[in-house]
Amino acid sequence: MKTPLPIPQIRSAIAYDLVGRNLLRVQRMRDERAMANYQPPADSPMNPPPRSLVNVKELMSATYLKARYAPGVHKVAWVTSGAPAEVLQALGYVLIYPENHAALCGARKMGAELCQAAEDEGYNKDLCSYVRTDLGSITTGKTPAGKLPPPDLLLCCTNICQTVKYWYEILADHFGVPLVVIDTPFLYEQAHEHQVEYVRRQLEEELVPTAEQVAGRLLTDKALRKSTDEAQAASRLWWEILDRSQHRPAPMTAFDGFLLMGPIVAMRGIPETTEFYRKVLAELDERIAAGVGAIKDERHRVLWDNLPVWYRISKLSKSLASLGVNVVASNYTYAWAELADMFDPDDPMGSAAATYLHPILNRSTAHKLAGMRTMIDDFDLDGVILHSDRSCKPYSLGQIDERDRIVEQAGVPALLLEADHNDSRVWTDEQTAGRIEAFVEMMEAAR
Amino acid sequence: MTSVAPDAPTRSQTLDRARDRGLKILAALPYHYPRALVRAHGFHPTEVWAPASARPDTGAAHFQAYTCSIVTRGTAFLIDGGFDRVDAVLVPHGCDALQGMGSVLRDFVTDRPAVHTLYAPRTRRPLDQDYLVAEYQRLAAELVKAGGREPTQQDWIEAFAVEDAADAAMRDLYKRRGELNLTDREFYDAVRAREYLLPEDFAELVAGLPAGTAQRPGLPIVLSGIMAEPPELLDIVNDAGAHVAADDLSTGTRRILPATDDADPWQRLARSYLDGPADPTRADPLPDRVRRLRGLVDHHSARGVLVIAPPFCEPEQFYLPALRKGLDVPLLYIEHEGAGEVDGQLTGRIEAFVETLEVAR
Ligand code: SF4
Ligand code: SF4
Repeated sequence: MKTPLPIPQIRSAIAYDLVGRNLLRVQRMRDERAMANYQPPADSPMNPPPRSLVNVKELMSATYLKARYAPGVHKVAWVTSGAPAEVLQALGYVLIYPENHAALCGARKMGAELCQAAEDEGYNKDLCSYVRTDLGSITTGKTPAGKLPPPDLLLCCTNICQTVKYWYEILADHFGVPLVVIDTPFLYEQAHEHQVEYVRRQLEEELVPTAEQVAGRLLTDKALRKSTDEAQAASRLWWEILDRSQHRPAPMTAFDGFLLMGPIVAMRGIPETTEFYRKVLAELDERIAAGVGAIKDERHRVLWDNLPVWYRISKLSKSLASLGVNVVASNYTYAWAELADMFDPDDPMGSAAATYLHPILNRSTAHKLAGMRTMIDDFDLDGVILHSDRSCKPYSLGQIDERDRIVEQAGVPALLLEADHNDSRVWTDEQTAGRIEAFVEMMEAAR
Repeated sequence: MTSVAPDAPTRSQTLDRARDRGLKILAALPYHYPRALVRAHGFHPTEVWAPASARPDTGAAHFQAYTCSIVTRGTAFLIDGGFDRVDAVLVPHGCDALQGMGSVLRDFVTDRPAVHTLYAPRTRRPLDQDYLVAEYQRLAAELVKAGGREPTQQDWIEAFAVEDAADAAMRDLYKRRGELNLTDREFYDAVRAREYLLPEDFAELVAGLPAGTAQRPGLPIVLSGIMAEPPELLDIVNDAGAHVAADDLSTGTRRILPATDDADPWQRLARSYLDGPADPTRADPLPDRVRRLRGLVDHHSARGVLVIAPPFCEPEQFYLPALRKGLDVPLLYIEHEGAGEVDGQLTGRIEAFVETLEVAR
């Protein structure tokens, strides 16, 4: 009997391993050369950005490229950003993070168009703009990632919001594939034993058997330990990277951090990610040693609360820098760092249960405020910008009280800035500029 | 007092009656919580659903304009005097907005009684029941601390007896819907008396409702969503030429849970909750919700579905495309804060919707 040609494998080997990766490598080398020679114009408020931004582009593009040719070669899982990915990594899944994909669409200024496409399908304009962006992408087939592979498995963890449960139910209905839900009770206070136990049981009794069945192979202790180990190593490095901005001048902006965080969100648990962050850290140390700050004149150091405004990252970064403001810290990027020590490769399931209950978005408003106050001290901050993100309620509700307490208790100005993370239609440049100028004046006055 | 039973106790009389019986008062936010557990621990729940009397400014001092009125008005109501009249508050985690409300009340609002929370599962698997039992026990331990009463077996038996009787009365009310001499507005007035009356008083109210022929003009529709408020909306539906044949409301049948007979009170409460109808605030799978709505439409030969929710209610909004696609009858989604006037535009939309149903007949 003739063995059929393994077409998907051949296609993947040619398109990804042979051609795609090499093209991306060439592109990266070109970008590196361009960046090495790049000097911002004399009137630019920015210093040259970290070279690592070029590497992250290559890494993320390679991930999407690999995913594109995964069907028939690897099982594909679509997962939420706070999901316990280590189990799936250990089973050899290729992972797609719809939130990360939506952010990519947002950063490429496709958010509004795709949100509109979802609205045309009947989705309300008040729903999370990540959801609308991705549903719009599915409807239209438009994506900056070339083509997204359909999932074999969906994994939804509610530790960032309840919204994702609705979102993944829609995906489950659309794709007709199994959906595993890891429901994580919201922590209004410390975690109770029954809550940790509940998450552990869901990992062991729901996720593992379903993921094994779809993958057609068994999860081994060795593989899970390895992916947990890698996830922890990468998260620790990411933490160190973010903490480097405690240095004055900070070697990068939080906006750089938003772009550099892609791998820790979407590629935790594999060695390439750990390696990448090792290099980023080394580069930041070089910048610190050379006295290179992210912006030329760092007069005000500021914290960013909540998701970024993806479609205005660069513009916002520059306009703030022109006022002497460096956004040096963000509690959003920290979400993938601060739990690093909770992973335990010797007890991957037990530690994952505790870890995945504790992301900032699954914790109380008091916890979030305490985190911001610690950052104000640790990063020696002059002010806080709270992005009041109209379509992300879990992150935004509570900000009015948080702002008031930051002003009263920490004694620094705080600005509640109305916007949306992916839907540019709610953004107005003029109004934002006016509010930011007033905020900077308050910081000047407080000096 | 309700329009259908002028002699029934008012909200504030109910609080006095509850206190006279040695019960403490618990303000409960919408809407899934184990009533028998609350009662066994010596509390009477009085529910807070976007009270019309709440001052918008107080809500806006804590929540952005893109927050639903259940949260903003509920918060304002409690802060502007509501807290003074209750001994405890319970904010079930029904959605991301209620999550924010529970957290903000606990963390940032002072001079208030204890604020308790409850996180029920978003799925209905066997392991969810074990978790839910433990979560109920956690809440119970808090209530023991807040109310000072550790329930005896007799307390549990009595609590289940009165709550079961009130639940049976509610089922009976729905069953007799066609034989009661009530308008839609009056019918829901009676249904919603369960939100504040003592269970004993609610059962009495239902037993005393006037029999006769229901006043049900026009085409049958199914009413879905959070709450039929302001109540004029129901008059507008009737005036437009339709009546509510069945509902899938949070203030209606979504909270009618099946009776279970487990001897263990914890298992019984958890089972009953997990066997409840498909519900957007539980983030149930799309097909389950479509099936439930289709079932109601078919059973009552309804000509259309009207969904009413406060603005910014994600749980309702997420299902709309699937419902529109999965139902064989037209669906109209309308938003209202729950308090204030019904403007001409909204009235016009309801009228046009009912006209469409007429044409489709
Ligand atoms: S609602 Fe917020 S936390 Fe949830 S998916 Fe959207 S952006 Fe993320
Ligand atoms: S379910 Fe809807 S109306 Fe109810 S609290 Fe949540 S967002 Fe508000």
